[in-house]
Amino acid sequence: MLTLGTVVFAASGATDTGRLPADQLAKAARSDSISIPTPGELFAALGKSEKTNWSGQYRGPMPVTYSNRAQIALNLGGLIADGFIAVEAKDSQQVKNIGSDIIKLAKALGVSEHLLGRGKSINEFAENSEWDTLQEELEATQNEVKASMQSHADQDLVILVTLGGWIRGTQVVTAAIMQNYDERSAKVLRQPALVHFMQSKINEVSPELRQEPLVKDVSEQLNGIEKLISFPAGKTPAADDVRKVNEAVGKVMIKIESKEMPK
Amino acid sequence: MKRWFLIFLSALVLAASTAVRAETDAEVQARKDALDIAGAFSNDGFKIRDGHWCGVIKPHEHALVAVNLYAGNQYWFSAAAAAEPSKIGVSVYDETGKQVTTESYNDGEKAAAGFSPVNSGQYFVSVDLVEGDGGSFCLVYSYK
Repeated sequence: MLTLGTVVFAASGATDTGRLPADQLAKAARSDSISIPTPGELFAALGKSEKTNWSGQYRGPMPVTYSNRAQIALNLGGLIADGFIAVEAKDSQQVKNIGSDIIKLAKALGVSEHLLGRGKSINEFAENSEWDTLQEELEATQNEVKASMQSHADQDLVILVTLGGWIRGTQVVTAAIMQNYDERSAKVLRQPALVHFMQSKINEVSPELRQEPLVKDVSEQLNGIEKLISFPAGKTPAADDVRKVNEAVGKVMIKIESKEMPK
Repeated sequence: MKRWFLIFLSALVLAASTAVRAETDAEVQARKDALDIAGAFSNDGFKIRDGHWCGVIKPHEHALVAVNLYAGNQYWFSAAAAAEPSKIGVSVYDETGKQVTTESYNDGEKAAAGFSPVNSGQYFVSVDLVEGDGGSFCLVYSYK
């Protein structure tokens, strides 16, 4: 979506054995638009390993009347992840319902102008069962929301949309793996650098937003989640590891969805 | 069809956004070219991410970006340079900095690398300027 500064290195930085030194890795560019995978990517990896009961991962209707902007942003991300779930389930009506809720939440953030067209597109693609196109449309919708936030000086909320999507996606994936554990599926949970990157982005938001009770709470719990998903390379998370991650993200989801803000 | 739809979407998002750094015409062209390569993989079921990474690369330099990938998925990283004549390459490194074996596509100012990670986690994609005076480039990726 948006570009960041390019980090370039002398080509001789790569050694003859094809290894990059740690200082170059540390300086590599990282951006929301390419360094953070979409929920669709996560679900695609899971979908290959097992027959996932995607419709069994739906949650009940959620409120779209939050007043706190940080909470709206987190829930918007979660809702977009729900859209990807409905696409995986190939459920036209559910996609349309979620598309409608996405527009409502986006409206509450004042970013709906360009999104009204997106809502119509989502409906049309859902009616025509164009599942691949719907995935692209959901990702484009998410990117457009973020672009609109940036142009409205709401850039601090962008990472919350991303984070909300990742938390909801991880909740769904861990629940699905718990229902039908297999090692190949469990391997998708290892993402310590991803959580670390999101945490670092939260640390860059304004002090006012960072001190908001919900943001502070989510950020603190993210530290614990990072430890839970920091499996050594090559180690497959056991069923109990998956359960622990599911419980941890489930607790965060309860806070994000709650109409009563933490104090 | 899908490729043009994506290009259109990308242009729309670009127009609607106030980018951290405005993209140059050369970067927009490089992005179109990168999407063109990625579009070829979509015939094999690869979905193109609606995200990209653009910048400027000089002779004997490479540009490096971190990505987070999932075991079980297959990926193609497609890049294009705006300046002709030039030759670029795309390579992938794991989280320790070790180069991973990839399938490669090279056609002058366009290149791509494809692989299936065994482990989920962070990887690094490098766009290398092999020949030429340098200039703008753009990287996109697709997965299935």
